[in-house]
Amino acid sequence: MSAPRLAIGGLSLGYDGEVFLRGIDLTVDAGEIVAILGPSGSGKSTLLSTIAGVVPEVEGTITVDGRDVTHAPIHERGVGLIFQEPLLFPHLDVGRNVAYGLRRHGVGRTEAGRRSVELLTWLGLPGYESRRINELSGGQAQRVALARALAPRPAVLGLDEPFSALDTELRQRLAVEVAAMIRESGVAALHVTHDPREAETVADRVIELSALGH
Amino acid sequence: MSSTPVWLRWTWVVPAAFLTVFLVYPLVVLVATVTSGAGVSLIDPLLAPTIWQVTALATVQALVSTALAVVVGLPLANVVSRYRFRGRAVAQALVTVPFVLPTVVVALAFRSLLGSGVPQGFVLVVLAHAYVNLAVVARIVGAQWVQHSGDYESVARTLGASRWRAFVDVTLPSLRSAIASSAAVVFVFSFTSLGIVLLLGDPTTRTLESQILRQTSVLLDFPGAAATALVQLVIVTAVLLGGAVAARRSPARRLQPVGLRPLPSRLGARTAVLLTAIAAFVIVLAPVAALVAASLRGGSGWTLSWWASLGSIDAGTTRLGSPLQAVLTSLGYAGLTAAVAAVIGGLAAIAVIAPGRARAVGLLALVPLGVSAATLGLGILLAFGRPPWDLRATGLLIPIAHSLVAVPLVVAVVAPGLRSTDTRLMSVASTLGAHATRAFWTAYGPVLRVVIVGSAALAGAVSLGEFGAATFLGRAAGPTVPVQIVRLLGRPGEQSLGVAAALAVVLVLLTLVLVLIVDRLGATPSTRRSGTA
Amino acid sequence: MHVRSSAVLVTGLVIATLLSACGGSGDEEVPSAGPSTVRLLAHDSFVVSEDLVAQLLDDTGVTLEIVSGSDAGTMVAGAVLAAGNPTADVMFGVDNTLVSRALEADVFKPYTSPELDWVLPALRDDTSAGMVTPIDYGDVCINVADSVLADAGVPAPTTLDDLVDPTYRDMLVVEDPGTSSPGLAFMLATIARYGDGWQEYWAALRDNGVSVAASWTDAYFGEFAGGGDGDRALVVSYATSPPAEIVYAEDPKPEAPSTSSMTDGCYRQVEYAGVLAGAANPTGAQQVIDWLLSESVQADVPLSMFVFPAREGTPLPQVFTDFAGSVDDALQLPPDEVAANLSTWLTDWGTVMGR
Repeated sequence: MSAPRLAIGGLSLGYDGEVFLRGIDLTVDAGEIVAILGPSGSGKSTLLSTIAGVVPEVEGTITVDGRDVTHAPIHERGVGLIFQEPLLFPHLDVGRNVAYGLRRHGVGRTEAGRRSVELLTWLGLPGYESRRINELSGGQAQRVALARALAPRPAVLGLDEPFSALDTELRQRLAVEVAAMIRESGVAALHVTHDPREAETVADRVIELSALGH
Repeated sequence: MSSTPVWLRWTWVVPAAFLTVFLVYPLVVLVATVTSGAGVSLIDPLLAPTIWQVTALATVQALVSTALAVVVGLPLANVVSRYRFRGRAVAQALVTVPFVLPTVVVALAFRSLLGSGVPQGFVLVVLAHAYVNLAVVARIVGAQWVQHSGDYESVARTLGASRWRAFVDVTLPSLRSAIASSAAVVFVFSFTSLGIVLLLGDPTTRTLESQILRQTSVLLDFPGAAATALVQLVIVTAVLLGGAVAARRSPARRLQPVGLRPLPSRLGARTAVLLTAIAAFVIVLAPVAALVAASLRGGSGWTLSWWASLGSIDAGTTRLGSPLQAVLTSLGYAGLTAAVAAVIGGLAAIAVIAPGRARAVGLLALVPLGVSAATLGLGILLAFGRPPWDLRATGLLIPIAHSLVAVPLVVAVVAPGLRSTDTRLMSVASTLGAHATRAFWTAYGPVLRVVIVGSAALAGAVSLGEFGAATFLGRAAGPTVPVQIVRLLGRPGEQSLGVAAALAVVLVLLTLVLVLIVDRLGATPSTRRSGTA
Repeated sequence: MHVRSSAVLVTGLVIATLLSACGGSGDEEVPSAGPSTVRLLAHDSFVVSEDLVAQLLDDTGVTLEIVSGSDAGTMVAGAVLAAGNPTADVMFGVDNTLVSRALEADVFKPYTSPELDWVLPALRDDTSAGMVTPIDYGDVCINVADSVLADAGVPAPTTLDDLVDPTYRDMLVVEDPGTSSPGLAFMLATIARYGDGWQEYWAALRDNGVSVAASWTDAYFGEFAGGGDGDRALVVSYATSPPAEIVYAEDPKPEAPSTSSMTDGCYRQVEYAGVLAGAANPTGAQQVIDWLLSESVQADVPLSMFVFPAREGTPLPQVFTDFAGSVDDALQLPPDEVAANLSTWLTDWGTVMGR
């Protein structure tokens, strides 16, 4: 059995300087989706932000693909994030949005363009490269956000209630599709949500946030 | 609505008349003057190579000034508008100070600060322009930037962007509209600069504005001067329109009312923010401090003699009065300007909120913003400095010009105040039995009182510091303070410099007092409205 | 209640301001110029002793009211615009570069002063057919910082031609003719001397390292070694600058100035006075012109304005006789030629000098 892509040991979560949860231990393997369940405001987003490095200065260790990234800057951790809002860059078209991470990792423009076209097709949006962001529906936008996050081949992907802004039917459909794609890509995924049914649908394991630490 | 007072529909008449007579008519006279030379067509003076040479020079200078203002203004915007820290409000007010200072004062302050180290010319002029306009960039960009929650940047960072890259790739594009509109303002300001280029510049920093002055006072070429004024008017209008267009097409990032955030916890970032705030203090205050020092330096040490001599005729440049007399002259004009601008601007602002076509007058009232001071001065001189409409004897030429410059500011301050007043107040008053006029005053009275006095103070401050038009409309009664300062600087000797500096400090103090009045009265009534329904 | 009181307040404020503007900041209305008051429009550099003004009142009953027109150019521009409807009676300070424009616009009413007979022969006919009266003249000349040249072991230049000689490389500072009156005068001197070849002369000056300052103050006190901290030994200034150096020096005053004036290539600036056409008090205006040419005023002129009196035989102060440049054949161009070509010349100058 290969080593977990994400390993957290003794992590503390804090907000505005106040620690509200400590001693978090967690591992996630390649292609595995772990759902973190908790009511709104319980700090689930903080968990993802801390792992990604958006919230710095933590207690504990974060290891990604065997490398200690606890004090590494955000852009060197290999952790991608997807939020409730797709947060697509409004001044770039779909293709450039998806290619963004590739370009930052040193991939040339043509190659990046090619790969983003590939990714978009794989995610069910063939030919969408030149579209403007404001032309996309909610579901399409989230898929583009997923493509963008997966393009630079991160080791870990954090999803922060990515479907809660969509209507119920779309939500379920997308959840299943996206779960399949994440597994296929081999990324280690942490899916944070307040909806237990969504958690059951997509995840291999479901963990209560409060159960993670103390 | 039925409870609107009848006279509200007619508030546009007075401002329209004022603007037609004192703005539109002089502009028409300017156009007519272009062709007034013997056998000269409309095109000939416009083709004079000098105009285009000077335009090229002024464009280069304005572009560099704008670039510098943006580069320095962005970090200031970041620090002063986004983070919460002790002294932030002071920093924000301080950053605005250079903008309200008269340009002549700024020029002298820079000369006092850098005079020996930096030679007169391009560098000095550009620095002074950037200094004055820091507030423009900082406030306009800051107002937009404060609404960024930083999440787009976080996304970019998780995708592999360093801090700097995230700024360039994500933050800057979303600030584009604010940067574009503030850049347009800075460009126009630098392009039409007069006081600063006269006092700090050399032939590479000529502007069309200084060219108008030269053509009038050196070459006595009125058609040429009129042509230059019109060319400048067209260019400025184009830039302002271009800025408005560029500002509109910025891609919309989802903005949130995030408000001020605490200082970053990372020591490096925290230090950077605080250092920037300190740098802002230093940058803004250093020239003013140098100015005060220059007014006290004499002989081999410190002296109060320049201040003491403010009351003596010999200290001035004209036999008509002492420098102190110039202060009184300026105050007189400022008072008149405040009164006229408050009335005209107030009525125009009321017209803006009134129903119907009266709105157009509100827009007309903003036109003088694009018309430079020298253009206004020349136009008024040509229109009212000689028969058939000879107003020279009334002494009103300068207050008229100053009022024209101040009216757009009054409208810009008063109109939003009126708009933000809850119109339901009028309905409520009506149902309680008040007739239309009374209802109007009940609803708008408190706001009007506050903003009109505040904007009158602003108009007074503008008049005190105005140089371009006052130079053209030089009066028999004696120069205004800015004009007196410029003339003193044309004279050799310690005394002239010391007295000029002292006068400049007086101007700074008067301006600050007026600005404080504007601030205390809260020209943004939305924060001061009390007892709403 | 609130409405009424604030309306009263605003109205009162407006009235008060208007009243104070009328009283405080000087006369906002033109007093009817009765036979005893004459309004003299002059530029800022016009200076005359108070007792002479009092003497005028005693002798003729004329009360002199000086109206400032800022610098000469702005003053004349205003007068041209108001031609025929002046707010003053007599104008002083039009010089020979501006007078042509004023004449074109019919600004003056002709008057020949009886005092004209006492004016220097060279200037006596310089009245533009009786429209203006010469009052004083100054010569714009190259000033030399003698000690600096002596230290460098270089002889002082004597002619305009010398200025392009490599011996004087990087030594000369001139003023921009577009913004400075002496700068303009010097440019006109070169045009008068070299005719069509004047631009080549300037190219040679440029190649010889001439520096161009924006104003006389900047040139004399900023770059000229004899006036301040500068390191340039030659500057375009006035023949009367060396005496001025002594007069304005701190006590104890030096015996001799450290600068001297070159007497070749000087341009003569003549200042005129004229009765304004349409003046309310033309008789009084004429009396003032006579007064300006009177012995006492002319004797006052050198130390007041640092120019030479037009009246022949006026005693000059000792510093003038000793140290002012004495120019025998100053250069001059006919005023209408200047008026017609000034704009072109300034543009050409700018092209040659790369500005």
